[in-house]
Amino acid sequence: MEFHTLDGNEAVSSVAYRLSETIAIYPITPASVMGEHADDWAALGKPNLWGQVPSVVEMQSEAGAAGAMHGALQAGSLVTTFTASQGLLLMLPNLYKIAGELSPFCMHIAARSIATHALSIFCDHSDVMSARGTGFALLASGSVQEAQDMAAIGHAVTLESRVPVMHFFDGFRTSHEISKIAALSDDDLKALVPHEGLEAHRSRRMTPDRPVVRGTSQNPDAFFQAREAINPFYQAFPEKLEAVMDRFAGITGRQYHLFDYVGHPEADRVIILMGSGAECAHETVEWLLEQGEKVGVLKVRLFRPFATDRFLSALPETVEQLAVLDRTKEPGAQGEPLLLEVSGALMEAYSRGDRKVLPRVIGGRYGLSSREFTPAMVCAIFDELEAEAPKTRFTVGVRDDVSHLSLGVDSELDIESPKTRRALFFGLGADGTVSSNKASIKILGEGTDLFAQGHFVYDSKKSGATTVSHLRFGPLPIRSSYQINRAQFVAIHAPQFLERFDVLDHAAEGATVLLNVPWPENEVWERLSVEVQRVLVERKARLFVIDAAEVAEKAGLERRINTVMQVCFFALADILPREEAIAHIKESIRKTWGRRGPEVVRRNVEAVDSALDNLHEVPVPDEVTATRVRPPRVPESAPDFVQKVTRLLLEGQGDKLPVSAFPPDGTWPTGTSQYEKRTIALEIPIWESDLCVQCNFCAMICPHTAITSKVFEPEAVKGAPEAFEVVPETQTSELEGLDYRIQVAPDDCTGCGLCVEVCPAKDRTQPKRKAINMQPIEDHREVEAENLAFFRSIPDVPRDRIPRDFKSLPLLIPLFEYSGACSGCGETPYIRLLTQLVGDRLLIANATGCSSIYGGNLPTTPYTVNADGRGPTWNNSLFEDAAELGLGMRLGLDKLVGRARQLLDGFQGQLPEALYSELTGACTTVDETAMASRRTAIEQLRSWLADQQGPEARELETLADELCPKSVWVIGGDGWAYDIGYGGLDHALASGQNLKLLVLDTEVYSNTGGQQSKATPMGAIAKFAAAGKATRKKDLGLLAMSYGHVYVAQIAMQSHSNHTTKALQEAESFDGPALIIAHSPCIAHGYDLVHSPAQQKRAVDSWAWPLYRFDPRRTHEGLPPLQLDSPRQKVTMKAYMQEEARFRMLELRDPERYEQLVAAASEAATEQRELYKQLAGIHFEPHESSDADNDKGERHD
Amino acid sequence: MTELATRWLGLELQSPLVVGASPLTDDLDALKACVRAGAGAVVMHSLFEEQLVEEQMAAHRFIDSRINMDAEARSFFPESEVFEMGSGSYLQRLELLRRSLDVPVIASLNGISTGGWTGHALELEAAGAHAIELNLYDLATDPSETADSLEQRQLAVVRSVTEQVSIPVSVKLSPFYSALPAFVAGVEAAGARGLVLFNRFYQPEMDLDELELSREVVLSSSAELPLRLHAAAMLYGQTSLEMAVSGGVHTGDDAAKAILSGATAVQVVSAILADGPGALGQIHDGLIRRLSDMGYRDLIEARGALSMERAPNSRTWERLNYARLLHGWK
Repeated sequence: MEFHTLDGNEAVSSVAYRLSETIAIYPITPASVMGEHADDWAALGKPNLWGQVPSVVEMQSEAGAAGAMHGALQAGSLVTTFTASQGLLLMLPNLYKIAGELSPFCMHIAARSIATHALSIFCDHSDVMSARGTGFALLASGSVQEAQDMAAIGHAVTLESRVPVMHFFDGFRTSHEISKIAALSDDDLKALVPHEGLEAHRSRRMTPDRPVVRGTSQNPDAFFQAREAINPFYQAFPEKLEAVMDRFAGITGRQYHLFDYVGHPEADRVIILMGSGAECAHETVEWLLEQGEKVGVLKVRLFRPFATDRFLSALPETVEQLAVLDRTKEPGAQGEPLLLEVSGALMEAYSRGDRKVLPRVIGGRYGLSSREFTPAMVCAIFDELEAEAPKTRFTVGVRDDVSHLSLGVDSELDIESPKTRRALFFGLGADGTVSSNKASIKILGEGTDLFAQGHFVYDSKKSGATTVSHLRFGPLPIRSSYQINRAQFVAIHAPQFLERFDVLDHAAEGATVLLNVPWPENEVWERLSVEVQRVLVERKARLFVIDAAEVAEKAGLERRINTVMQVCFFALADILPREEAIAHIKESIRKTWGRRGPEVVRRNVEAVDSALDNLHEVPVPDEVTATRVRPPRVPESAPDFVQKVTRLLLEGQGDKLPVSAFPPDGTWPTGTSQYEKRTIALEIPIWESDLCVQCNFCAMICPHTAITSKVFEPEAVKGAPEAFEVVPETQTSELEGLDYRIQVAPDDCTGCGLCVEVCPAKDRTQPKRKAINMQPIEDHREVEAENLAFFRSIPDVPRDRIPRDFKSLPLLIPLFEYSGACSGCGETPYIRLLTQLVGDRLLIANATGCSSIYGGNLPTTPYTVNADGRGPTWNNSLFEDAAELGLGMRLGLDKLVGRARQLLDGFQGQLPEALYSELTGACTTVDETAMASRRTAIEQLRSWLADQQGPEARELETLADELCPKSVWVIGGDGWAYDIGYGGLDHALASGQNLKLLVLDTEVYSNTGGQQSKATPMGAIAKFAAAGKATRKKDLGLLAMSYGHVYVAQIAMQSHSNHTTKALQEAESFDGPALIIAHSPCIAHGYDLVHSPAQQKRAVDSWAWPLYRFDPRRTHEGLPPLQLDSPRQKVTMKAYMQEEARFRMLELRDPERYEQLVAAASEAATEQRELYKQLAGIHFEPHESSDADNDKGERHD
Repeated sequence: MTELATRWLGLELQSPLVVGASPLTDDLDALKACVRAGAGAVVMHSLFEEQLVEEQMAAHRFIDSRINMDAEARSFFPESEVFEMGSGSYLQRLELLRRSLDVPVIASLNGISTGGWTGHALELEAAGAHAIELNLYDLATDPSETADSLEQRQLAVVRSVTEQVSIPVSVKLSPFYSALPAFVAGVEAAGARGLVLFNRFYQPEMDLDELELSREVVLSSSAELPLRLHAAAMLYGQTSLEMAVSGGVHTGDDAAKAILSGATAVQVVSAILADGPGALGQIHDGLIRRLSDMGYRDLIEARGALSMERAPNSRTWERLNYARLLHGWK
């Protein structure tokens, strides 16, 4: 038997791939990785069990994937897919069809929460439970080993039974857990898969040689009977599954049952559950048995069809108290699905006389959205079962002070075997901690007899992310499907963690603590805070330190400290002899990076070799000597909600907050990112006022709003900090007399350097020195933080004073700041600019994707408010429906505007005439003066209404704000606009409504990790286009132009901000739909984004990304609506392509194909240019304006 | 008609005209056209030590280091993209050119350290290179490194390559050595078989508007030729290394002058980059025409006829010439 150390996704994918011919997928967390493996293997030509390379096709959505699956099944193919959550929901209609047609099919779900009051990428069973009516068999597994095994069993049994199978396992907990498992060989799979079933499936295929029809439409006389005709297949299923499980046991020695019971044979208390939680329950039950308790756990493998007789025979007759746990919530239901199924089975057994006594059954919810499920919670449930009057419905894992359903839990309980070594690592996303931990698990899993497990937790930031790795090793199998509570080894890979949260909270008594700090070893102790020292002293920990950054830097690895820290871990953890461990690490480096070339290996090996010389023990004294306490995570000035809720979320203590702390409907305040000070940059931009030319390019390009410029009345700086430099505004006549300053937000800057890159002002004698320069943060942080606080407090000048040109626009207050986007992100500047233009009158409908994560992922929100408390209001519905959501907002909003006008008109005659005129006159969102007057008028109206009686006055008070026009923008990425949401986008454009759509086009699915979309350019390598995309990028703009009534622009802000600001303002002023396609440099392009302005310019100059504006208003003037704003091709397509790894990789791997695709891309650009030139040259006779107005009137009514 | 066929580095060439190291390596059609137009051999662009290292590290930094950072995006590129970024694609290209061209293909190595990278020479030999052109492009920027230590380092590089391979090695030099003949003697002693005179420094251009440096490549002109002719004429007869002139050959007469100075081969790049493979044809025809007019039967007769060793007024190559020129316009 061969043992492999791998994660659940790879284990499942490996089986599914080998047993399939057609794989239709669509990326969705946490299932994407399964599809990516399949795509990789297909790209490498790996065959399935029958010697063919499966076709792996990425569709435009899960709905599309489901349709393709259905079709492939009808053609007689062996088919699989991988999905989760919303993806599964989109597949539902086809799943009913596939099951209705009794098609053998097995799909794999990394179970994930369905978005309700919020999106969550984490695990629960709400997705699979929503599919329980489809007719699919639902097969659950609870560990990586089981997931692999059950995948094979699922593929086999569906061929035997014709009932399609949905195999599910817990997202992240199992899908991403690395574990050492006994792997299934090709021979194992061959022995398992029934040949006859395969033949039978093939023989049912659609073929004109033996024509049939399927998918008929049936009437009341037929449908019902036909539906009942499937019953025998479902009745036979449990027996067939048992037979496959028995055959599997014969092949592998691992025996599964439909229900597996673990515990005392005469247990009085039993809990029932499925998924990874059952492993934790299993471990806990074994521990309780040792304590003499009569308890047990029943693991459900087959949820549907629910096999009542197997269930009853698996459940000990002695059971008196039963707790059924569901990892899902169905508000208002009598109970959650497993509870109902179990209760029904017991009732039936009782009524049939099979059971004389019924146990007392209680039902509980646990683990929603990957909430931890621990042995302490299992014990709490068993305790509850012993209570005289247990809660019949309960929750475990939260503190519910609203409905009082939760059970109390002893969080200190630790039942883990002392033989299992536990290690915790706090790392930065970019420092490679998780990668090296994965390597360590492989070293221990594959190089020793030890069992090994790795679980990885990430926060939701895309820059400066925190990762926590939980590693277990030991001689016993590991069932602990929960995070480590007491670690013998704790590594802190970045010193800032010491100041942010309680990293030693989980250190065990006598733990070894490893710190990466840039401090001399003799200064380490005195630099630690009271909190850190106290834990070290109280738990009698040993403390080791290393300046890993320096070691890595010397080896030429920049800040990549992972191999250095890995060596220290092995040296201190004492799992393997030191020399052996180091040899393993070097081998693993060679294996992982040797493929890149010798230099990467050489540098890493050098770092490994010098690591231990720099590792030092710091003696821990007997008492705490520090007086400095850890600084509070949010400033004292923060609002109450931020203090009470956000602060705990930031400190990693969110799960201790009670239910009552949370808004029940998903409504959260904006403007909270300003309180999350992350301090992740090593260098920040510092302003040199003597050189500054006040161009504001820095503020324009900053992805994090971490450098901003402002003009203000000179007297506003009274009381400013000493270092607060200002200069007179000298560049814009409208701003004469004002002062000017550029301000960095030191704790919010990510250090990307874009601001310095675009700064045009140089010291003539020392051109290296610009008007802003990157400088070490430690030299400036305190001063600039103080300056920033003052800068933010300076009142803004009236909006209408600032000219609407690209140089002055950055002076408007940004209402999007300090997001968690990647360092150098090319999307966020567009959003920030939009909020500067119209943020105080803006409703945003945001598609799921990067922009919804950095825009709306807790704990904090970058959308913020101005001094009046106005700012963007934001909602993310789904990935696919942002345009529809926005359209709905527009329609709903317009009705309220209409109602407000109707009410206002009712007061005409009573209202002062001037006020009525002001409130009903022309006012658009682009007319600042009119907007300001309108807002004043609304205030006057409110005052007037306060003295009026009657319901109309009250209603108008509520709606009065709608008399001031609002702007609705839809924001999303190319995955949304070109693929999954294209239908809705198209419909929203066709609607003619006043709705703006901003496509942040990174040319791949960035959020899920670089899968190709229809926006991916020809010649680029992406996931699902590993050989380089061979077809052209969809011309979304041209499709939109074809309507004629849509304003369309293609923009590129990092290199052409003037054009961008023009296009955004034209779109905003256009009374109808507008589509803006924005070139968004992304780390998925594979280059240093500090060069994105230059690279984007190449994209524009090569016509890979032509700039244009299509304005239907121009036709009324007899002008061609299309204007080419970058008419000439100035550089070759190759000159653009060769600068990005996504193209260069193809050149390295397949130079001939690269050349072909470069030539084809170049030709495509030429054809597009020729077509566009002709379109831009079209001559129109000026329209009759009355016709145009009539058209408009019809559209808007 | 003068017979242009010749031998260089022990290789049979249909003419002394060699397509020099350049981006033309990537344009197989152009190279084929050059061969049809009379090119005797092709030198590939350099396998550049620093570039290999830089690209490997860039891939490590911008692709490999962006994995396992995020709960949703495990990575940003397909895993099958983790492939060798060393000399693999260069070797593939070399094999393709060998298969597709009927003339010798000379691989080029560019590096300044004796580290492991000279091992690439073995790979080039195994991939079928007829010869290796070792490019010693080096800029002295470190005030603590003397001319002698720099030269010794360079010679060590030459030795480490010649010791590894059995195919001939030519060494491409920069023009500015204090004592070129002595250094050339060192190159010969280090086991090289040929010399290429000279490298062109791709000096950055200055952008006075932007107050920065730009990296535009400027093509050569015939004005750059005399420096090469001078060196070849001076070295001819003093070294048994076979010389190629590289840089500034744009016409048949330019090529003829190179031969008469003592060169065995003449490398052409800029003319082809500017005007296409036809330019090489014109140089070829012009060379035949000129040498035939001068009555040479073959290149052996013509080679070095105007070198310092043989020219009637050979002192013109020396210092005296400089002195006279200076005084001449007073």
